[in-house]
Amino acid sequence: MSGGDDFLTTYETPRLARLAPNLFAACFSLMKILPARFMLERAQAAGRLQPGGPVAETTSGTFGLALAMLAAVRGFDLTLVSAASLLDETLRRRLEHLGAKVHVIDDPEGSGAQSERLNRLKEILEDCPETFWPQQYDNPDNRLAYGRLAEWMTRTIGRVDCLVGCVGSGGSLCGTGSFLREVFPDLTIIAVDTHRSVLFGHAPGRRLLRGLGNSIMPLNLRHEMVDEIHWVGAFPAFASALRLHHDHALFMGPTSGAAALVAAWYARRYPDALIGVIMPDEGHRYQHTIYDDRWLAVLEGWPIVVPHEPDTLTQVEARGESEWTRLFWDRKALRTMLEAERGA
Amino acid sequence: MVQNESTARYDQPKSGKTLNGGRKEGLLQVGVGRAIAHHGELLQGVFEGEDGRLHRGLVTLPLAARKSTVTFWPNGEGAIRCRPANRKKAARAAALTFNHLGYSKVGGDLTLESDIPVGHGYGSSTADVIAAIRAAAAAAGVILRRSTVCKLAVEAEEASDAIAYGDQVVLFAHREGLILEHFGGEYPPLLVVGFRIGRARPIATLRLPRARYDGQEIEQFRVLRGLTSHAVRQQDPRLIGRVATASARISQHHLAKPRFEAAVKLAEEHGACGIQVAHSGTLLGVLFDADERGVAARAAVLAETLGQAGFLGIMTFTVNVDGTLLQ
Ligand SMILES: Cc1ncc(COP(=O)(O)O)c(C=O)c1O
Repeated sequence: MSGGDDFLTTYETPRLARLAPNLFAACFSLMKILPARFMLERAQAAGRLQPGGPVAETTSGTFGLALAMLAAVRGFDLTLVSAASLLDETLRRRLEHLGAKVHVIDDPEGSGAQSERLNRLKEILEDCPETFWPQQYDNPDNRLAYGRLAEWMTRTIGRVDCLVGCVGSGGSLCGTGSFLREVFPDLTIIAVDTHRSVLFGHAPGRRLLRGLGNSIMPLNLRHEMVDEIHWVGAFPAFASALRLHHDHALFMGPTSGAAALVAAWYARRYPDALIGVIMPDEGHRYQHTIYDDRWLAVLEGWPIVVPHEPDTLTQVEARGESEWTRLFWDRKALRTMLEAERGA
Repeated sequence: MVQNESTARYDQPKSGKTLNGGRKEGLLQVGVGRAIAHHGELLQGVFEGEDGRLHRGLVTLPLAARKSTVTFWPNGEGAIRCRPANRKKAARAAALTFNHLGYSKVGGDLTLESDIPVGHGYGSSTADVIAAIRAAAAAAGVILRRSTVCKLAVEAEEASDAIAYGDQVVLFAHREGLILEHFGGEYPPLLVVGFRIGRARPIATLRLPRARYDGQEIEQFRVLRGLTSHAVRQQDPRLIGRVATASARISQHHLAKPRFEAAVKLAEEHGACGIQVAHSGTLLGVLFDADERGVAARAAVLAETLGQAGFLGIMTFTVNVDGTLLQ
C-alpha cells in the first residue's frame, strides 16, 4: 500500500453483490492482482526479487495480466510464456502495451503446450538466474494472499457457513477457506471445476471453459479441505454468466458464472446458511466470446437450458460441456478418493 | 475535590487558559482519577496500519468491577511522592501529564487505592497509570482526550491498553498508544466467567519476550479484525467469541496456557460463545451471550465446574449489559 499504485488495490478489493438474502458474491475486477502483488512483495522482502528486477511466468490467463499491470506500475522486467491457442490477440496486445515481453509457443492442435511452455520458462531462468518465477500453482504465498479476501468476507458477511469458488491453482478457494475455517471450523467448502480438468481426477482433455480447471496438478489445491466438488460444463457456465448480467447487471467472466450457478443452487437448498462466493473477473475480456451472440451461435450444442440442479455422481466421471455434476468429496486426499474408487 | 472520570465531567477552567500554552502558575486543586481493570484481550496480534506497516495491537476486554483510584494532592513545587511508594510509573504519568498541560515542577502527593490483583493480566499497572493521568488532569481542572491519555500512558510505561476508551471497541497499538481501527461501537453484551490457570505465578508483562508471528498468523489476524468489525456493528456476542477463541489459539503457540484445550471443551459444553485469554497473563475467560435466556444459570454451573476442576480466581462479570454499563 505504498507508492503511486494504490489504485491497484481497488482491483483486488471485491465489490459486494447480494444475489439472494443468504448469498454474498465477492465480485473482483481482477482477483489475480491480489496473489500477484502479495507474491512479488514477499519475494522482495525475502531478497529474491530486486526493485526493477526480472520476473518470468508461464500463463495464458488473468495471472499474467495481473503481473503485467504490477510490472508496469512497479517497473519490473516481465516475460510471459504462453501458447498460441490460449492467448487471444486482444490480450496479447494489452500485455505488450503494459510493457511485458510475451513469448508465444505454437500449438496447432490446441493442446496448450504445457510442457513446451515450461521448457521455455526454464531456459529463461537458466539464462538469467536472478529472475523471479512466482509459480502461482505451487507457491504457498498464493494461498496466503487470500487472508485479505477472508477479512473482506468476515467484515461484510460476518459468519460464513459455506464458501464456493472456482479452482485453477487452488489458491483462492483453499487460501480463503483455510483462514475462514480457523474461525468457522464447520465451514462447508465447495470447489467448482470443469470436465476434463485433472484437478479432481478427470483424465485431461479439451476444455472450452478456460480460467478454471487445470491439466497439471497444483500444490496450492488442498483436496482434503474440500467437502463437495462440482464439475460445470462450459455451456451452463456461459449461460449463468449471461444470466448474471441479464438479471443482476453483473458483468462477469464465465468462471464467475460457474461459481454463481453452484452457489445459487446451494443457497436455495439451504436458506438458513450464509454463503460466500468468489467471482474472479469481469466480462470485458470475454466481449468477443461469451458476450458475442455470433460466437456463441456456432458452438455445437449451444444454446442449452440451464439445469436447475446438478446430477449427483457416485464416482469421479467426466461428462459433456452442457452438463453439471457434483460429488461428495468429504475432505479426502485425491489419492484416497481415487484408490477408494479403484477398490470399489 | 474535583473528580475526573468519564462518569463525572467537569467544565474547562473559566480562565480560558490554553493547554500547552507556556508555563502555568495556575492553582492546582485536589484531583481524583479512576480507571478500570481489564480481563486480558479479545484479540491480540499484529495488524496493518494506515501506513501499510505492521503494528502490534489488541482489543481489550474491560473489567469494570475492579478499579484503581488515584488522588493527587498538590503541595507547592518539587517532586511527586507516591503512596504506595513503589508505584513509580504512576508518579511519572502524573508528572508527564502536568508537563503536557504546561505546568512545571509540580510537587505533591499521589495516593493509589486499587482492588486489581497484580501480575495476572488484569492491567493493574495501566489502570494505576491512567487513573494517575486523570487525577493530574482533574487537579488542573481539565479533561483530556482519550487519545492523549493513551499516549501519555505509553510514555509513562512503555505499553498500555485501551481501557481509556471505556465502552468503545478499538484496535489499539499498545506499544505506540495509537488507534489502528475504531470499530465504531460498543462491546457486544457479554457475560464472562473468568478464571486463572491453577498455580500459575504472576507475570511481569513487560519482561515477556514479544511474540514473533509467522505469515499465516499475520494474515489470520486480518480475518479476526474483520470479524471484530462485523461483531461490533451487529452487536453479536457469538462472533466476538469466535474472534477471541481463534486469537487465544494463536496465543497458545507463543505463551501456552496449560489446560487450555480442556477449558475450551468446558466452554463448548456449556453453550458459550468462546474463550479469551490475557495474552501476557494467566487469565482465561469464557464468554457468554448476555442476552441469551438461561445464561446466568449456565454460567453459574460452569463456574462451579471450573472450581471443581481446580481453576482459581473464578469471577463472573458482565460487559456492556444494562445495569453495569461501561462509561
Ligand atoms: C478467471 C479466473 N477464474 C478462476 C480462477 C481460479 O482461481 P485460482 O487460481 O485461485 O484457483 C482463475 C485463475 O487463474 C481465473 O483466472
